[in-house]
Amino acid sequence: MRSLGRLSTTIPLVLSTILIPLTVALAFWWTPEDFDQGLSQKIFYFHVPIALTSYVAFAFGAFSAAMYLWKRTEVWDLRSYVGVHAGTIWGTLVLLTGPIWAKASWGVWWNWGDRQINVFLILFLYYCAYFMLRFSLDEGERRRSASAVFALLGVGLIPLSFLAVRIAQTLIHPVVFTSGGAAMPNSFLLTFVVGFAGMLSLMVLLISTEMRGKRTAARVLQLQRVARGEDA
Amino acid sequence: MIPAALAIARVKFVLELRRREVIFAMLLFIAATIVIVHFALSGDTGAGSRAAAGMLWAAVVFTAVLGLLRTFAAEQEEGALDALLLAPIDRAAIWIGAALAQFGFLVVVEIVAVPVWWVLFFQAGGPSIGTVVVALLLANIGIALVGTLAAALALGARTRDVLLPVLVLPLVIPIVLAGVTATYGAFGEEVGGLRPLGFLALYDLVFVVLAWGTSEHLLGD
Repeated sequence: MRSLGRLSTTIPLVLSTILIPLTVALAFWWTPEDFDQGLSQKIFYFHVPIALTSYVAFAFGAFSAAMYLWKRTEVWDLRSYVGVHAGTIWGTLVLLTGPIWAKASWGVWWNWGDRQINVFLILFLYYCAYFMLRFSLDEGERRRSASAVFALLGVGLIPLSFLAVRIAQTLIHPVVFTSGGAAMPNSFLLTFVVGFAGMLSLMVLLISTEMRGKRTAARVLQLQRVARGEDA
Repeated sequence: MIPAALAIARVKFVLELRRREVIFAMLLFIAATIVIVHFALSGDTGAGSRAAAGMLWAAVVFTAVLGLLRTFAAEQEEGALDALLLAPIDRAAIWIGAALAQFGFLVVVEIVAVPVWWVLFFQAGGPSIGTVVVALLLANIGIALVGTLAAALALGARTRDVLLPVLVLPLVIPIVLAGVTATYGAFGEEVGGLRPLGFLALYDLVFVVLAWGTSEHLLGD
C-alpha cells in the first residue's frame, strides 16, 4: 500500500517533468505560427489544457463527494476537498491566462461575450464558496456531508450555466473543436494533447501529494493523542 | 410528505403574520435596491431599457437572499429543528416546506414591487408583462429551491449570515441571465422567444432532482 502511495506521486512527477517542458519546446519550435493570431496563439497550449484539467479536478471533487455520500468513509471526503482545492488553484490560472490571450487576440482583457470564460467565472465563484462553507462548519459528520452536497450541486450548475450564457449571449469565442473533429493542423493538435497530458499529470501529482499530506497530518494527530494517553 | 411540507410552510406563514419579520424588510430592501441601482446607473434606466430590466432582476435576487437569512431561524432559536428531524416525516418535507414558504414570501413582495417598477420604468404602453410574470414565477421557484438548499447547508455554520449570500449568489447567476433575457424579450427585442422561460423551468427541474437526491444529507443528524 505504501509503495502504491509512492508510485502515485512518482509517476505523475516524472511525467509532468517531461511533458510540460516538452509542451513549451513543441509550442515554440515545432508548431508553425498561427496564420491569424500569430505568436499569441501559443498560449492556447497552456490556457486550454489548464482549463480542461481544472474541470477534471472539479469533476473528481464532485465524484468523490458522491462517493462520500454513498460510502461514508472519510477518505472520500478528503479526496473531494482536495479535488475542489486543486480545481480552484487551476481555476485561478485559467482566469489569469484567459485575459492574457483575450488581450492579445481581441484587444480586451475580459470579453463578456465569450461563453467559456463566463461559465468558468460562475463555476469559479461557486467553488470558492465551497471553502467558506467547509471552514465555517465544525469538523465532523455535518461538515463532511454539507461539503459533499455542495460539491455535488456544482455538477448541475455547469451545464445550466452553459445553457444560460448561450441563451443570453452571442457566440464570439473561436471554436477550436467542432463536431467534425478538431479544426486545426496535426502539429497543433499533437502539441495540445502533450500539453493536456502534462497538465493532467501535474494535477494528479498535486492531488496525490496533498492527499498524502492530509493523511500524514491525521496520523500525527492520532499519534499525539496516543502519546498523551487520551486514546489508543 | 406533501401534507407535512404544506404544514411546515403554513407554520412559517402564520409566524410571519404574527411577527412580521421578513416580508416587510424584504419590501423596504427591494425598494431601496431599485432606487440605488437607478441612481448608480445615473438615469440610464429609461423606459424599456435593458438597464431597467436588469435592475428588477438584481433587486429580486438580492431581496430573496435577505429573506433566506431567516429561513430555519425560528426553528433554530426554539430548538424546533431537532423535533422536526425526530418527527416521523420525510426529511425532504422540511426543506420543501421551507422552500414553499420562501416562494410565497417572494411572490408577496413581487406583487407589490413589480407593479411599482412597471409604473416607474415603463409608464403607459409598456411591453408584455405576461412574460415577465411567468419568468418571475419560474425564477422564484428556482431561487427558493437553491436558497433553501444553501440555507440548510449553512445551518450550524459559525458565520451563517455572511456565508449564505456567498453560497446562493453564484447558484442564481443562470436564473438572472435567463430572467433578464426573457424580460428583454418582453420589451419586444428578438431574443430567443420562449427559450429563456424553458430554461428557467429546466433549472427548477434540475435542482428539484438534485435537492431530492441529497435531502437526507442536508439537515444533519
